[in-house]
Amino acid sequence: MRRRFAIATICAAWMCWSALWKPAATVNAQLSEVEQEGYASPLEVLLSPDGARLYVLCQDTAQVRVLEAATGQVLQTIPVGRQPRGFSFSPDGRRLFVANSWDDTVTVIDTQSGQVKATWAAGFEPSSVAEDRAEKTLFVADRIGNNVTVLDAATGAEKLTLEAGRGASYLAMAADGSRLYVTHVYPNPTPHRTPPKSEITVIDPGRAQVVDRLLLPNIAGVFHVAISRDGKLGVAAELHPKNLVPLAHVEHGWAFVDTLTVFGADVGRSVEVPLDELDRYYAYSFGVAIAPDKSRIYVTHGGSDCVTVIDTKKMLAYIREHPEPFAEDLSASANYVVGRIAVGKNPRGAALSRDGAKFYVANRLDDTISVIDTRANRVTQTIKLAGPEKVSALRRGEQTFYKAYSFQGQFGCSNCHIDSTFDGLQWDLEPDGFGRDIVDNRLIEDLRGTEPFKWNGGNPTLVKECGIRTEMYFWRSQNYDDRTLTDLVLYIRSLPSRPNRWRAANGVLTPAQERGRAVFYRTIDKLGQPIPQSNQCGYCHSGPKGTSQKSFDVGTGKPTDNSGLLDTPQLMSLALTAPYLHDGSAKSLEEIWTVYNPHDRHGRTNDLTKDELNDLVEYLRTR
Amino acid sequence: MSRRAAATIAAGGILLAAVVYGLPQQAMPAGRTVQKQSETVAVIYTATPAYESLAALHGDERFPRGAQLMVQREGRSQVFTPGFVASADASVSFDGRTVLFSGKKSVGDPWQIWEVAAEGGEARLVLAGSRDLIRPLWMPDGRLVYAWKEAGGFALETVGLDGSAPLQLTYLPGNFVPDDVLRDGRVLFESGFPLGAGATPEMFLVYADGSGVESVRCDHGVGREHGRQLRLDSAAAGAGDIVFTHGNRLARFTSARAEEAPVAAPAGEYAGDVAEMPDGRWLLALRRPGQKHYELAAWKPDMAGMELIAQDVERDLIEPVVVAPRAVPNRHPSALHNWQTGNLLALDARQSRSGALHLVPAAVRAETKDDAGQVVSLGMAPVEKDGSFFVQATGDRPLRFILLDAAGNTLREEHGWFWVRRGEQRICVGCHTGPERAPENRVPEVLLRTTTPVDLTGRAGPVVAGGH
Repeated sequence: MRRRFAIATICAAWMCWSALWKPAATVNAQLSEVEQEGYASPLEVLLSPDGARLYVLCQDTAQVRVLEAATGQVLQTIPVGRQPRGFSFSPDGRRLFVANSWDDTVTVIDTQSGQVKATWAAGFEPSSVAEDRAEKTLFVADRIGNNVTVLDAATGAEKLTLEAGRGASYLAMAADGSRLYVTHVYPNPTPHRTPPKSEITVIDPGRAQVVDRLLLPNIAGVFHVAISRDGKLGVAAELHPKNLVPLAHVEHGWAFVDTLTVFGADVGRSVEVPLDELDRYYAYSFGVAIAPDKSRIYVTHGGSDCVTVIDTKKMLAYIREHPEPFAEDLSASANYVVGRIAVGKNPRGAALSRDGAKFYVANRLDDTISVIDTRANRVTQTIKLAGPEKVSALRRGEQTFYKAYSFQGQFGCSNCHIDSTFDGLQWDLEPDGFGRDIVDNRLIEDLRGTEPFKWNGGNPTLVKECGIRTEMYFWRSQNYDDRTLTDLVLYIRSLPSRPNRWRAANGVLTPAQERGRAVFYRTIDKLGQPIPQSNQCGYCHSGPKGTSQKSFDVGTGKPTDNSGLLDTPQLMSLALTAPYLHDGSAKSLEEIWTVYNPHDRHGRTNDLTKDELNDLVEYLRTR
Repeated sequence: MSRRAAATIAAGGILLAAVVYGLPQQAMPAGRTVQKQSETVAVIYTATPAYESLAALHGDERFPRGAQLMVQREGRSQVFTPGFVASADASVSFDGRTVLFSGKKSVGDPWQIWEVAAEGGEARLVLAGSRDLIRPLWMPDGRLVYAWKEAGGFALETVGLDGSAPLQLTYLPGNFVPDDVLRDGRVLFESGFPLGAGATPEMFLVYADGSGVESVRCDHGVGREHGRQLRLDSAAAGAGDIVFTHGNRLARFTSARAEEAPVAAPAGEYAGDVAEMPDGRWLLALRRPGQKHYELAAWKPDMAGMELIAQDVERDLIEPVVVAPRAVPNRHPSALHNWQTGNLLALDARQSRSGALHLVPAAVRAETKDDAGQVVSLGMAPVEKDGSFFVQATGDRPLRFILLDAAGNTLREEHGWFWVRRGEQRICVGCHTGPERAPENRVPEVLLRTTTPVDLTGRAGPVVAGGH
């Protein structure tokens, strides 16, 4: 691992190396590296039913802070679980439920006392939570579980799980409680090199059943969804990638467009409407809210540090009067966007006051809440949350990661690495040739010791990966200065692996996992023949991260690849990152061997039975 | 608006300084030059007895009776470039300290590029040639872009301040004159429309390495010229818009719309090259009704009247620039490959702003112009069922496409020309779909069939015809 940077003469690179080199840290130690910074990182906001209190979900300090809405004064600070991602009130406002994404729990808070009353187990990576009107059932969207866990609202006992989209994350309950809408941040599986698809899963809360799936063609990454008070209009914020077209340039929406899907009786169908302009983009649409009278729709843009204001009537008229599709028309938004309001860094969750007069925006990366006067369409107050005054290098790096740095601000790192992970997409990058070297996007957690980068191993360091290469072939626009690049690399290298849900806390493997481990490290095949060392799984996928950091040709190259020589990918969190292989052609781990390893060049696997391959999969999921 | 006037007579009686707020033309005091006295920001402008605003687009002289850069500081105007028999085209550096300009030291000199401190002083020759070099503009990487006159007209080039690493940006016969460097790093220039074939003034964009040439908008009007981008960091409404003259009117391109929008400015003929003052007002060169010469006035869209900034009863005052720091545009990181050719991919050739073709073309023919200006066919390539095609063309040469049916009849053809840079890989949605059209997210069929472009460089002889 102690490898010198190839361009060690660059001062910035050396600074990075000096700052980052340390012995391998545990997951918890790495996580604490972020948490110890002490930044509140407000991710979501809620107003109490009477509008007097503002509840702020602080991601990095793992707290709910209760503020006096009028003044911003802190009334209470309530500790919750690790990396809380979503929260909501019970219909009567007496309880606040918090989804703790890294603890796989839901914290139940009594809003009168501010006391934590219970902590309930939920599914894998709970990301938001909603209670039904009868207050009998609690629904939890689980990002890694790809489902909605249904809990008994009195005891927390799990009743059942409902299948949702991949990366199920956000929930919105209709005001009358008749429907619950679920969005997901990773695209559902589709055939190789076809457009991504997503859905809005519609649940009948009373029956706890999925009753509909609104299909969102071309969408990969859906965030908040909001429903009007009369239940007739729904809006979801989303990403519309252009991953199938060679990324030869960026202008004219060539990498991403930012859109909303609007649906419900007011629209009559699901319609995708764009938010960008010809020369300016509004990246990473995240939070949405609909005014009580439906006159306005508000959208936060995490990559552009602003809020878009839409005139709903104009938007619906545009939809009625123009032929679809709209998403490719960058001039469409001029017909219904009536405001762009600058707010703080990385605006995420947002909430409207009950009368619709104020719009509160959680600016995650500068620890502020922007209060927008919706009549004047301007920020009238900025509430600063307590935390470090100094912006650390790590924090600056995270700000850079979430800022849309590309040409005309079209996209940033976080567009392809959703919440600092991956996007489940395969991209056709320009320098390798159009239609050549299709590459699957990789997870960027716990990267220490996984160098080099890129599937062809062409970038020995993150400095190169995120610097010159990114400037030329992704941003197509001026990149950062050396300090900013150093900060960015520091941040990326600080990203820990999330807890592995397939590995027992004590590290003991299940019998199936043990059998799979034996297959992984075997040296003799089932016919009694020795397996050449270079064809044993553990040879290329060696070391703690499951990579020898070397390139091999294992026969998985395609005719459109310029070389069969590929960097050995790390194996951590493998269970999350389907599809597989360098070009994403294997839909599942099984397909790596059953479809794409006919000649045993990618390890000796053709002597294995289906059960034995299943065991191997079970083991790999523990990595 | 209050009306107030104050005047001072400069030494020698040549200059008259005044403050005139909303003063109508007929009330102008007599004298040679009038300017606002209280304005603290320095303004440099070109004064000329006769301004031929379109002359450069025909390869002609814009200032047939000479021109002189003037500077107005603290209410006084004076010659900015003493020692020059002619000077024009001031461009202030991003830090506000240095000015590039076109100048002639002696009668009979061609226009040359000079550099001088913003507060004045000895000018330094940056570039000289046997023909005119005009309209220098600062680039974000410290280089400059300008127009140089060659046999075929004015071409665009970037070059270091020491004359190093010249890089040609335009590769068509015709005249190309830079207007501004946009915040996104692209060079805004004007030329005739259709590009390389027409004479109607129009504005275009090109990256700093000559790649990606395209129209700013495709609602082509009857003559658009002299555009400048309002500062993106400005608090003024319309920050980032490109304001230009359309005919003699002011108009703008906004980020949100595919068509130009009118600017409801007071009546008059506008000369373009709008500068933005620190207070957000626009500094305009206009010729009010009945007036002989362009004067400089400050105005912004929500102002009822104009404030006269400078006037000269004998000369046009044009090309104003404000001497102040401004945001540096983004630098363009060139990703051109080290090739002699460029690759072009069309996603769906049927698509066009003027209506989609109902027939799927069978083939596309590429044409270039030889050195004598004759149109030469480079061959044909098949068009797939989804309208996609993928070709390789010689870089840095005129290029256009003609869509053909199976019998070889023309279905649609480009009226103008463009170029692909050597080493450039470029994709378009369709033939002339306009900048408002984003691509559909799908793999074009041609790339599912082959990732090798059809060679239309003209070096391989007749090429494949007939598609799908």
